[in-house]
Amino acid sequence: MRDGLDHRQEINRMLKTIVRKELQENLYSYRFPLFAIICILLVPLGLYVNNLNYIKSVRDYNEQMRLADEAVASIQMQDVMAGKIAIKGFRPPALLSVFSQGFEGALPRFYEFTPDGYTPGESSSGEASILSVQGKIDFVFLIQMVLSLVGLLFASDVIAGEKESGTLRAMLSNSLPRDTILVGKITGGYLALWFPFIIAFLLGIVLLLVRAFPLFVGDTLARVLSVFLAASLFILIYFAIGSMISSSSSKTRTSLIVILLVWVSFQLVIPRVSDMAADVIYPIRTETQVSLEKSILAKSIDTETSRELGRRYVLIYGNEGSPGRGDKTTPEDVKWDAVKKEIESNARERKAQQVKQIDDAYGREKRIRQNIATNLSLFSPSAAFARLLADVCGTGEIARRKYGEAIKDHAQALDTALFSRAKRTIIALPGGKTSLSFSIQPIDVKALPKFTIAPTSLAEAFKEDWASLLSLAFWLIAPFAAAYVRFLRYDVR
Amino acid sequence: MAMLNMVLKADDLSKRYEDGVLALDHLNLGVRPGEVYCLLGANGAGKTTTINLFLNFIPPTTGTCYIKGIDVTKDPLEAKKYVSFVSENVMLYGNFTARQNLEFFAKLGGKTNLAKEQYYQVMRRVSLQEKAFEQRVKTYSKGMRQKLGISIAIIKDAPAILLDEPTSGLDPKAAEEFLEILTELKSEGKAILMSTHDIFRAKEIGDRVGIMKEGRLVMERTREDLQFEDLVKIYIDYMKSEPLTA
Repeated sequence: MRDGLDHRQEINRMLKTIVRKELQENLYSYRFPLFAIICILLVPLGLYVNNLNYIKSVRDYNEQMRLADEAVASIQMQDVMAGKIAIKGFRPPALLSVFSQGFEGALPRFYEFTPDGYTPGESSSGEASILSVQGKIDFVFLIQMVLSLVGLLFASDVIAGEKESGTLRAMLSNSLPRDTILVGKITGGYLALWFPFIIAFLLGIVLLLVRAFPLFVGDTLARVLSVFLAASLFILIYFAIGSMISSSSSKTRTSLIVILLVWVSFQLVIPRVSDMAADVIYPIRTETQVSLEKSILAKSIDTETSRELGRRYVLIYGNEGSPGRGDKTTPEDVKWDAVKKEIESNARERKAQQVKQIDDAYGREKRIRQNIATNLSLFSPSAAFARLLADVCGTGEIARRKYGEAIKDHAQALDTALFSRAKRTIIALPGGKTSLSFSIQPIDVKALPKFTIAPTSLAEAFKEDWASLLSLAFWLIAPFAAAYVRFLRYDVR
Repeated sequence: MAMLNMVLKADDLSKRYEDGVLALDHLNLGVRPGEVYCLLGANGAGKTTTINLFLNFIPPTTGTCYIKGIDVTKDPLEAKKYVSFVSENVMLYGNFTARQNLEFFAKLGGKTNLAKEQYYQVMRRVSLQEKAFEQRVKTYSKGMRQKLGISIAIIKDAPAILLDEPTSGLDPKAAEEFLEILTELKSEGKAILMSTHDIFRAKEIGDRVGIMKEGRLVMERTREDLQFEDLVKIYIDYMKSEPLTA
């Protein structure tokens, strides 16, 4: 019992010695200050610049909302009927786009709602320079692209470097278990990466707080902590992958080549190939095709409705038609009103139902394709990380989906509250003539529905991104296990 | 030869690598406390393989290595408590100073809480220049590195020391200084197994000298034997003789 305790203490002491040595060795190397400078410059700078952009977006959003409210307040029903009015629904900027841009720049800033449907406005990336096609530098980009590579490079010589320099033999000539060496080296090496990262992150947070970033409002702090933890974990994943490669190579050069190939695969190849593969596995229609389909359907129903109205009109009023309504409403007028109402209502319902069917079918197609692409991309820890963080920051897939749902709901609500109150009826008479009539019902502009997007809770983000979490967990455990197995059999000669 | 009281002992030790090469063929040898055993032989004779087996860097195909009576294969961690190792090119952490290197390996060897002065004393003992104590090792010459390597072995204070061609590449003065340190360690009762190409140094320091050829120990002479025999001639004769295996 006593011996076992002493042995454990001895192992712990050796582990600490190796961790300390690893930290010291990294600290003395030329690469450490280089990395620290990159980290301390880029992370706070990225957060600061993105916060400036966010503040600007909020200012723009508030101004546009004010103008839109003014426009709504001065709505004239004849303008609505003439199709001159487009109600705009604006998407509020996501606060945590400061950390992860996600779809923030790509999604339309607003949608325009008209009696004929809705159309997207410009995206916020519309004003960006050509350089933005290479990807915006945000916190997630820095971690995903820069720190992952640095993590791999730092780990490239964890084992292979010690073997090459002969120090591994010197270490193993002592009463030192191999797993202690591996754990000590990975821990020390990771801490050497983690410390500059923490400093850079804290500096970035201080800069944000100076710019009045609402860190302590709502669940922002929890989200920022989640971002920090996920980023720390992500760096560890890449360090573990690098260690696995290092413990499978006898030379640092070989290890470096493999590391670069792995990095390119994870960062660039797998996410892009996943998208391409999804297109091949499950090709879907384009938005234009679907719009055209809906437009043809609408026209067809409108034409049918006009014809039916014409037929029924003739049946009620005869070929001569209505003499026109004076002060007195005739029984034919009452009958015609009821028939017209019924036909129009049926047509509207039919149109809505069939458009919904088309939308739902297209939505399903898109979802299946998206799921295939996403699931394939999860073979890359980088894709899993980017997806998770975008959702945690409210700029990811969930936010996009909720934006889409909000648009549909708002279109329906506006149709009921506004557009359906200004009706334009076209009657196609059997003789080939057409008759156009208008009807307007009063509206209460104050009661018009406001455009809102349902918020996403942090728990919802984690729940929906279980596959990303699973991928990250796999990439954390598997390389450690592989490095362990490889190193136990590692030829130290 | 009585195998009792041997600190280092190879018992019918053989090693055949995965590619089929027989690197060591039924080796039997032992090193007593206060004795220097020199293994001579050409490249590929099995000298380094013997040391690798004692350090459990590779498993034996047959046979057993013992350090202070502990089976190295069965209990390598316990066995390695009693052995120090100095390689041909003492490999150290270039960005660390000599003292930092010494401190790190001393801690791995189980020597904790040593004062800076104690590290300095060991470095003085191997005649490392005072000004080099806190210098980064990457600026060191090979001789200085060897001295630091032996000071790592000294500070561990293990009863057995394995040296893999430690004087290779050293200038005569540095080699001489190195052998002086070995003589001191021998007088302290350390059992030293040294592989070397250097016949003259082997004759000078070795209490026993073994010649290896194609994995076999083909000859063993004591210091007394060598007073009446020419080691150089014996060595060359063995090297010139017919291969042992077809």
